[in-house]
Amino acid sequence: MIIITENLIKTYNTDKAKTYALRGISLEIPRGSFSCIIGPSGHGKSTLMHLIGGLDRPTEGHVFIDGADIAGLSNSELAKLRASKIGFVFQFFNLLPNLTAEENVETAMMFLKTDEKAQKEKAKGLLSLVGLSEKLRARPSELSGGQQQRVAIARALANDPEILLMDEPTGNLDSESETEVLNAIFKLHKEGKTVVIVTHNNEIAKMAEVVFEIKDGKLDGQWKN
Amino acid sequence: MNVPKLALKNITRRKGRFIFTLLGITIGIASFVTLLSLGGSLKNEIKKQASELGANLVITPKGWCAYEQVSVLTGEQLPEAIPMDDVKKISAIKGLTAVPYLIERTAIKNSPVPVIGILPHEMKAFKGWELEKGNYFASHDEDSIVIGSGIAQQFKLNLMDEVTIRGRQFPVKGILKETGNKDDVAVFMPLSVAQKLYGVGDKGSFIAVKVDDISKMDEYILKIQETANVAVVSDKQLLKSVLSIVGTVSLTLQLIAAVAILAAAFGIINTMMTAIYERKREIGILQAIGAKEITIFKIFLLESGFYGILGGIIGVAAGLVFSSLASPYISQNEFTAFLKSSEVAVTFDLRLVFGSLLFSVFVSLISGLYPAWRASKLTPVEAISYE
Repeated sequence: MIIITENLIKTYNTDKAKTYALRGISLEIPRGSFSCIIGPSGHGKSTLMHLIGGLDRPTEGHVFIDGADIAGLSNSELAKLRASKIGFVFQFFNLLPNLTAEENVETAMMFLKTDEKAQKEKAKGLLSLVGLSEKLRARPSELSGGQQQRVAIARALANDPEILLMDEPTGNLDSESETEVLNAIFKLHKEGKTVVIVTHNNEIAKMAEVVFEIKDGKLDGQWKN
Repeated sequence: MNVPKLALKNITRRKGRFIFTLLGITIGIASFVTLLSLGGSLKNEIKKQASELGANLVITPKGWCAYEQVSVLTGEQLPEAIPMDDVKKISAIKGLTAVPYLIERTAIKNSPVPVIGILPHEMKAFKGWELEKGNYFASHDEDSIVIGSGIAQQFKLNLMDEVTIRGRQFPVKGILKETGNKDDVAVFMPLSVAQKLYGVGDKGSFIAVKVDDISKMDEYILKIQETANVAVVSDKQLLKSVLSIVGTVSLTLQLIAAVAILAAAFGIINTMMTAIYERKREIGILQAIGAKEITIFKIFLLESGFYGILGGIIGVAAGLVFSSLASPYISQNEFTAFLKSSEVAVTFDLRLVFGSLLFSVFVSLISGLYPAWRASKLTPVEAISYE
């Protein structure tokens, strides 16, 4: 198993009450699998993804990535883990608007101190892999939604991570762009990447090998397709 | 991609804000350099004038404060005067040469010019003047003038041209060779003629004194003070008090410039804080793709530092240009009028250039510390969830 969560609890304290975002989620995601986390909006899917990806810390419980408990890691060690083992793709693309497609991909490599020549070569290769070799110098505002998301996928792949965490990667795309992006994701999965997609799109969930359903912060169901 | 490149791309993305923030630090540094540079040139010039004073001691009317002593160098006209009786008594002291002179003012073509009444032969010997053209005064009561080379050049005056002073016409009898000091921009006439012309009676403004034995300076000072009711100041004391005044004025001006730089520093803080709020989501993206806290800190600190580097370079260059352009005009000030004589050269001081540049970068980095710290302390999920 490449990802294991044990009794994950996440609460937010407000002035008056304690709000539970996750109420003890335990799950296991096999290496190289294509998994989906589904469920209604506001029930804790994204919070679960943030905890798995080390973007946030659980109130209780543990996350194991490749057998290592990430709860005990410092902020700096977590950042290194995100840079080397995890690639994120978000619903709203989250590209840096002042950088070109090529520079957006290079930026991810900068954090692992890859030399600039290697950054350039790899960025070109990855953008070509997602079908954007003609758009190297384009800024996000000059690209369609589908193209921006493919740049985001190329960026997620920049440091050759084992895990790709995607939060509603097609949630903001038209059907044509959705197909483009899904094709790119399947291609990566076939190459051996562990892909975890958070979505409320049942069509994507049907294509996944393993599906986890989250409701009210709890694991409400789990099945294989 | 690297951190400096990313920082540079970030600060230049909002061109208007970038330019205005940069202007703030640029103006601050430019004013700092201008004032420092002019202050430095002024000090050099004062040292030069004092060294060319040709006197070991200067006698002034009793009770003059340091500011009034400045007029010995500037040639400024002041109401107090020394009676000629005192001059005679002082001249009688053995071992010193005392030369009195009277400083008044006139206007040639609406420009103020000092008119100095002198004992012709005594002053010529004292100063070691030589003539460029014409002749020197033949007697102590000759109704003519001898002018400095700067005056001849500035007002295109030639021998035997008539100059009107206080309603009377005086022919130019001679033009002095360039001396490189304030004598180049003065009009000289015999003391007795000047005293009559200005109606000051039998009085002079100052007495320049040369002593035979410099090691006995204190003795001479005591003797002079016992002989006449006057104040005596040595050239070194004079220089010290004038420099202290100039130093105070320079320091005050530099403090004003420092306030401008402080305001610019707050401008940088404001710009950086605004950038953090605007780019909160981007900070989250950078963290998600692997940026450590220290990297985020570095990016923002560098952005701030770039304002200091760019503002410093432009500011220092602008400051040097401003001070070069301003130096001819500062001579229109009474206090600095004497600087006109040598066309104050603004010195290209490497210490000033690099010091100001470093100061600019230092101020910008200090300004960037808090915003950079705030940016680095954002949690990834807080930043990435920011709408």
